[in-house]
This record gives sequence, C-alpha cells and structure tokens, in this order.
Amino acid sequence: MKQTRSPALPLSLILALLLSIFPLPDVVAAWRPHWVALILIYWHIESGSLHGLGHAFVLGIVLDLMTGSLLGQHALGLIIINFLVARYRNRIRFFPPWQQALAVGALLFNERIVQLWIIGLLQRGWPDWSWWLPPLIGMLIWPWLFLMLDAIRWRTSR
Amino acid sequence: MAGLRPRDRNALLGAADGTARLIFYALVAITLMALDSRGQYVDRIQHAAASVIEPLFLAVDLPLASIRRLTRNMTARQQLLDRVAKLELDLMQTRAEVSRSLDLREENAGLRDLLGATRRTVYRFIPAELASIDLDPFAHRIMVRRGQRDGILIGMPVMDDLGLIGQVDQVLGKLSRVILISDPDHALPVQILPQGERTIAYGSGSLDELRLNDLPMNTRINENDLVVTSGLGGRFPSGLPVGRVHSIERTPGRAFATARVRTLSNMDRNRIVLIIQTPGEPELEPEPTKVADEHSEQTRPPSSEQSPEAGDSP
Repeated sequence: MKQTRSPALPLSLILALLLSIFPLPDVVAAWRPHWVALILIYWHIESGSLHGLGHAFVLGIVLDLMTGSLLGQHALGLIIINFLVARYRNRIRFFPPWQQALAVGALLFNERIVQLWIIGLLQRGWPDWSWWLPPLIGMLIWPWLFLMLDAIRWRTSR
Repeated sequence: MAGLRPRDRNALLGAADGTARLIFYALVAITLMALDSRGQYVDRIQHAAASVIEPLFLAVDLPLASIRRLTRNMTARQQLLDRVAKLELDLMQTRAEVSRSLDLREENAGLRDLLGATRRTVYRFIPAELASIDLDPFAHRIMVRRGQRDGILIGMPVMDDLGLIGQVDQVLGKLSRVILISDPDHALPVQILPQGERTIAYGSGSLDELRLNDLPMNTRINENDLVVTSGLGGRFPSGLPVGRVHSIERTPGRAFATARVRTLSNMDRNRIVLIIQTPGEPELEPEPTKVADEHSEQTRPPSSEQSPEAGDSP
C-alpha cells in the first residue's frame, strides 16, 4: 500500500521523459540510455505498480509524441518489456544486482531489436554500431539506478 | 499487497490471458504505426496530444535557453565590439546589394507587366530560434520557438540565410515542429537551373544530401548546377535556393538517372531559421496561377532565375 502512494513514481517518470528529449552533445547523444524503459522496469519489478500493459502503452505513446517517432513505435517496445517483466518478475526480483543488470540488459537489447525491425520496415537504412550502445549503458547504470530509486522510495513512503 | 496482485491474477486467469493482452496491445501499436506512416488519419489525434505534452517541451527548453542567455550576457565586451563591427560591414555590403536588386525587381515587375504575366508575391519572413530538444534521429525534424501565437501555419516553408531547410509540420502554442527536406519521407518539387528541368528531390536520410531519383537518362544537368524550388504543388514559392548538384549517376539497365544534391543550408551551424509566411491558405489560392505561370515561361527559364541570382552574386 505504501509504495503505490509514493510521489516518487510520477516524479521519476516525468524526469525520465524529460531526460529522453534533453539535448546532449553529439558525441554523447548516442549513449543516452532508454530512461523510460529503465524506470518502468524498476517500478514494475520492485513495487508491482505499472504492471499493466496499458501503462506501458500509454507511456510509449507519450514518448512517441515527444520524440516525434512513429506513433506506437516506442509503445510496442515498452509493451513487450512489460510483458516479459511480468512473466519473469518473481525470478528477477531475487537476483543479485549484477545478475539483475544482465536481465535488464537483455530486456533493453530485445527492445532495440524490435525498434530495428520497425526501422527496417520503414526502409530507413541500417543504423551504425552506436545503435547498440544504449542497452549497454542501461545495463551498466542499472545497479546504481536501482539503489538510488530504492533509497528515494523508502524515504518518501514513510 | 500491491506486489501480489499480478501474481494473483496470473494464478486465476492463467498465462494465456497475459499473452492475449500482449497481442491486443501490440496490434493496436502496429495499427497506429501503419496509419501514421501511411496517411493523415492520426494527425488530428497527434496534434491534440502534442499540445497536451507541450509543457514538457518547454520544461526541457527553458533551463537551456536561460543558460544560453546568461553566457551571452557574459561574453567579453571587446568580442562584442568586434562582432558589431563585422556585422556593420556585412550590413553595408548587403544594403548595397539589396539596392541593386531592388532596381532589378522594379525592372522585372515592369517586364512582367509588359508580358501580362502575374506579379511575384512578396513574402514575409518570421525569424525563429531553434529550441533545444533532441528528437528521434531517424526522423529529420527540428523544433523551433515559434507557434500558433506567432501566426505559423502548417506547411509554411522554412529556410536559413543560404537555402531551404524544410517545412512546418506541426504547430503548437509556442513551438512548432519542422520536417527537414532531408527526411526520407519528404519530397520537394525542384527545378535545376541553367536548363530549367523540373523534377522531385527526395530526402536521403543524411542531413546535407538530397536525391533526384527520376531524371531522364539523357538529362542535361551538370555537376554544380543550382537546384531551386519549382513552385509546383503550391506549397513552396518558386525560386528558393535548395542545393547544388553533387554527382550524377547513369546506371546502365536502369530506367532513370539519379543525382545527389548537396544542400546549401547549413543545419549544423544555425541557431536562427526563417519561416516564410505564405499569404493565406498555402494550397488553394496561389496554385492555379503559379502553375499557369510556370507553363507560360517554360521556354524562358531566365525569368525565374531572378531571386537565386540575387542570392548568388556575392
């Protein structure tokens, strides 16, 4: 009960959305992790909120509108992530952090493949190698993000 | 309590329910994508939703804009003086050129009167600053800090001091989204100048390049020829500089020759773009006269060369 009322959830989501369109220098822009997916995975695994596919769908549509990508493109990726998390949640929850990071990395990697499929259908050409950086970065920052959000969640829910 | 809910549901309804929901949502997403990439069915929804999201855009843009303002305030005095001196020099030169081209404009108007051709419309420019927002790198769009309140309409052409950049794609309250001519989905009616050949320039997906995909095999265009908008289709006024032909390929066995065009505009360097305020509804009124106009001067390309030449002379 106490988790779901925490203001940390909407705040972290809005922050993630803002970070997704925050301009970065060209050199680092390709390294931007999929913030929204990371936050979604965290809340789903840890507190079970945002567990519905509908949540993922709405978030994805918002992200699509913000980045100007095809309507539904990010939504599809996030739906699939949420579906897989729902299926393996009970296992991922009790993984040690590094193993959890690997699982999250796999989820993000899978999302990237879905995106690649859409881009392929649109015939927009094959992206270069930096396309595969975001899942890697997401995987590396996951343990820290996890600890930070955990700390914030416990502090705000008391 | 909340943590147990999904598991309970799974136990009750089985995993098949989850899969069915996944398929349902995935189908909705794919249908949306298909509609979005095919036609204008979702445009209205998209527009309504985007205006709801506009505060987020502004929230991202605000701190960066204020940082830039701050750094501008702190630039050294000497630097500013140098800049002013340089700009004054530029202004003087430009004034001299403009006065010359005013003369040409009068003369051109006179000639057009003699020929009974319609007058060229004079367009107004609205300067707009780029908003600092990163968009999807696969779709070539930019956000500019002008919107409905400044009288921007969908379809208005956007250029910088050197050449055409794109057209307004979506208008919000204070911001609008511009689709670049280099976007793979964008097609632009152009004319290649010394010869006056008309064709369509497609976006290539790389920022400074366009493709001409359906040139006839015996085309007479050469490298370094100037490409300008033709004004057909009524969306862009005619004669805006677009780019220069970079290379021409005639692949044996293909029906058409293709060419690459380097754009004149400099998208990497710009902070300010110019939105061209086309009078009234862009499609309906000017088009018939324009088309008739084009046809009547088909054999006389020099008359449509006036404005690019003026931009070219320095």
